[in-house]
Amino acid sequence: MEKRVTFSSTTIGLLFAFPMLLLVFVFFYWPGGQALFWAFTLEQPWGGGNKWVGFQNFAHLLKDPIYWNSITRSLVFGAGSTAIAMGVALVLAVLTDREMKGHSAYRSIFVWPYAIAAPALGLAFRFILAPEAGLLSILNRVWPDIWNPALDGNDAMIAIIVAFSWKYIGYNFIFFLSALQGIPRSLIEAAAMDGSGPLRRVFDIQLPLLTPTLFFLLVINITESFQDSFGIVDIMTQGGPARATELMVYKIYFDGFKGLDYSGAAAQSIILMVLVILLTILQFRFIERRIHYK
Amino acid sequence: MNAKILGAVSAFALSALLAGPAAAEKHKIDFWFGNSGDIAKRVQEQCDRFNASQSDYEVVCTSQGSYDASLQNTIAAFRAGQQPTIAQVSDAGTLDIMLSGAFYPANKLMADMGYTVDWNDYFGGIKAYYATSKGDMYSFPFNSSTALLYWNKDAFAKIGKDHAPATWEEAADDFKALKEAGYACPLGFNISRDEVWQFEEQFNAIHGEPIATKRNGYEGLDAELVFNKGKWVQFVKDWKNWYDKGYAVIKSKETGQTFVEAFAAGDCQVILTSVGDHGNIGRTAKEGMNWGVAMLPVYAGTERKHSFVGGASLWVLSGKQDADYKAAAAFFNFIAKPEEALTWSTVTGYIPVRNSGYEYLVKQGFYDKAPYAGRELAIKSLTASPADDANSFPGIRLGGLLQIRQEISNGLQAIFIKNEDVQASLDAAAARGNEILRRFEQTYEGKQLP
Amino acid sequence: MVERTPIFNAICHLILFVGLLTALLPFAVVIIAATHDIKTVNIVPMPLMPGHDFMANIHEAWVRADLGRKLFNSVIFATAVACGKVILSAMAAFSIVYFRFPGRSLIFWAIFVTLMLPLEVRIVPTYAVAANVLAPFQALLDVTGVTWLAAHLAGLQIKLQWGLLNSYPGLVLPLVATATGTFLYRQFYLTVPEELAEASKMDGSGPLRFFWDVLIPLSRSNMIALFTIMFVWAWNQYLWPLLVTTDPNFGIAVTELRSLIPSEFGLPDWNVAMAGTLLIMTPPLIVVILMQRWFVRGLISTEK
Repeated sequence: MEKRVTFSSTTIGLLFAFPMLLLVFVFFYWPGGQALFWAFTLEQPWGGGNKWVGFQNFAHLLKDPIYWNSITRSLVFGAGSTAIAMGVALVLAVLTDREMKGHSAYRSIFVWPYAIAAPALGLAFRFILAPEAGLLSILNRVWPDIWNPALDGNDAMIAIIVAFSWKYIGYNFIFFLSALQGIPRSLIEAAAMDGSGPLRRVFDIQLPLLTPTLFFLLVINITESFQDSFGIVDIMTQGGPARATELMVYKIYFDGFKGLDYSGAAAQSIILMVLVILLTILQFRFIERRIHYK
Repeated sequence: MNAKILGAVSAFALSALLAGPAAAEKHKIDFWFGNSGDIAKRVQEQCDRFNASQSDYEVVCTSQGSYDASLQNTIAAFRAGQQPTIAQVSDAGTLDIMLSGAFYPANKLMADMGYTVDWNDYFGGIKAYYATSKGDMYSFPFNSSTALLYWNKDAFAKIGKDHAPATWEEAADDFKALKEAGYACPLGFNISRDEVWQFEEQFNAIHGEPIATKRNGYEGLDAELVFNKGKWVQFVKDWKNWYDKGYAVIKSKETGQTFVEAFAAGDCQVILTSVGDHGNIGRTAKEGMNWGVAMLPVYAGTERKHSFVGGASLWVLSGKQDADYKAAAAFFNFIAKPEEALTWSTVTGYIPVRNSGYEYLVKQGFYDKAPYAGRELAIKSLTASPADDANSFPGIRLGGLLQIRQEISNGLQAIFIKNEDVQASLDAAAARGNEILRRFEQTYEGKQLP
Repeated sequence: MVERTPIFNAICHLILFVGLLTALLPFAVVIIAATHDIKTVNIVPMPLMPGHDFMANIHEAWVRADLGRKLFNSVIFATAVACGKVILSAMAAFSIVYFRFPGRSLIFWAIFVTLMLPLEVRIVPTYAVAANVLAPFQALLDVTGVTWLAAHLAGLQIKLQWGLLNSYPGLVLPLVATATGTFLYRQFYLTVPEELAEASKMDGSGPLRFFWDVLIPLSRSNMIALFTIMFVWAWNQYLWPLLVTTDPNFGIAVTELRSLIPSEFGLPDWNVAMAGTLLIMTPPLIVVILMQRWFVRGLISTEK
């Protein structure tokens, strides 16, 4: 995407980007580069030295069918949580934007889930989702054994997708709403005068104007569902039952942060990064084309 | 660039000036630990007592929130030359730090600083767990515990029994009787990573069965897992059988109630858990419920060996000043006092780690009183066989212990939840565990296990 | 409302109301847990009727976690991170969208990739950088031989040292270095009509003027949304503040939660833990409410 009208001063352009680039270099690329270098070695955690092993760490992972399963599971998780978090947030934002009675309360409260602290999230969802004692145990009273995330891998996957999406609805909602607020009232009123109903207007006017935000949130949601999900897995399932919720990033976190296998975690991080970057490039290539920036 | 250096230098000089007078009063050292919540408060109180007891040193104690965050932060700080003087390392991280050389050995520290410590005062099972293969203590055992069997006396009375099962055969009959008497959960358990140790590691310990070759790894990094070849396989088969018949029930956070909560609520009649939970069960148990503890059962005909200690030990890190080490030694000398052992065991569920502390507790009548009675069984369990008994194992010294526990947990989950074959699943867990061990061995190639 | 559609409105209200309940349910659980005593909070299932210990739990949590000072630190910390992101991202995105120089898209991707590697994975080397932020430059000088040259030609020892541990910059700067904001602004700038930049150029005012007088006012809603999210995000950061601040004077509220969350064998006083969580969550919830008031309707027409 290119602007037709641009400024020509390269110096000023670079100066604007410089502070961010400096921070990113010092606090991301420098340390991140070191961490990724470990992928090609076996690093002693306390810093006693390392041993160059080339691609051994990668080979070890890629020949393990269990690792491939965790890639599949991460993709399922990413697709599921992105669809729910974005879909629900979009509906809520469009409805809130109609400015019906009480909309000022909705505007704040739908953002709140993003602000919940991790321990509260764990406790609350345990209370809601537990198959024997939680609120969802009602389901089991009607249809015995239909809901049991403790023993059924699919249920456990649904549970973490729901908890993750719940939190990210708040995130998506605020950006959708801010973009919707950017659409001038006059535009909508004019359409109403022409006789198009509320739903028609959503599809004809609001959604097309939202596409830049939709694209932004799509990329961010997919990325975050791959990167930011280990906390929820750690609180809710620890990767179980029987590896059903062992996402790629959870394994990175477990091996590297808890298990001190820095090299294994670094190799997994590279694989995950390559996967997410590929997904992002695909999105820029095939989806951004259809976006109307004006 | 020069201005920046000057700026940095002057800032440094300024901070040195500011720090000057404070240092003259009390010498400060850092102590990072992983406990949180109520236990963190208790550790803090212990630090405060030490700081108030003398005027030379001040230990600044900082909870890092969890064992793994604490270890990770300590490593990050060590590698940047900003390490605390004292760090708590849990059993799972022991081997890494032992091989790193990043520490000042505890025995050397105390000798260098002029303290005489009777290292044999530590209980054999505890000393053996943390000592090197040559018996040298590199760290100070700190918060320690071991597993016990908890049983509901009221429920057992209903089936005409006044004592806990001493053997697994007896336990199997009790579970059956309890089930038939209408109890829904005779044995409550969980098989997540953090809850398999009482069923796997402790079972093998008290049966004198190896978990890995090379004396569970104490005699070399080339150890191989063998838990899939001994008595434990039979136990898993029995255990699965109880599960299938409804004698044993999975109770976890995910089902809504952990097995400890289920026991306290009177919903499960037997559980295996740490002595550390003794206090909490006392505080949260259903009104009027009669319950007790016992040592873990063994299979009939087995000679009972000592159980393993769980918890963490305190390490002194290298690269600090002499004055820091003096302060650290004074702190260790302080917490070794029998009075401290009494306070520590009173306010937490952890056990004394030394004979002298234990005897002091006994003399004070600690174990006679209601909330604490029964905890002496933990000591009995840890000392069931002498530490130098050739047929028992000092502990587990395996690299990647946490990941190995995860593999065992995954194997058990496959057996219980997905009904996979017991032997095949345990073999697979051992094979994956061995890969972890080989990677670890390769990482530390050329290093000698002390 | 533009027109009267009572049935459609009723459906909308219903959906919004169900959404409201779903959003608030977990908060309700936390509030109820905070009103119980330790025995009740551990009953499974936890009783839904609130207990009577709310104030006692709040008081206990406040004292134990020393929240007064920590909440103050948290406000400074989260505000600084959010402001830093809002400002630096706006600038970086301006550079990427409105200038044409070689390597421009490389800059975008360089910033974008920071989304890809969580802090947990690079914590050890990131800490080393915080202990001496100039270390990367020192290393570059060493590698390029500048250090050697200076030592031999001018007799100067170059040793760059600037530690950020236990300081506000150390807390804030590493968390500012991420890409979300830059990407968001890029998306917004691309929707700004070309005529505005054209008009600005015709007036003869330079890029600085255009950025300040035109772009910044236009991106108000974006800025508010970004500030809100980043404030909340920074507020809940746990691992980095815990590592960088060992001096309690710089401690923040969320890391103090650790002194409230029960650990193994500790007292399972989830009632106090949840009371503390509630206290700690309140400021970001208020910030969300306040920020929403500043949203304004769009003023620019996007019609051609």
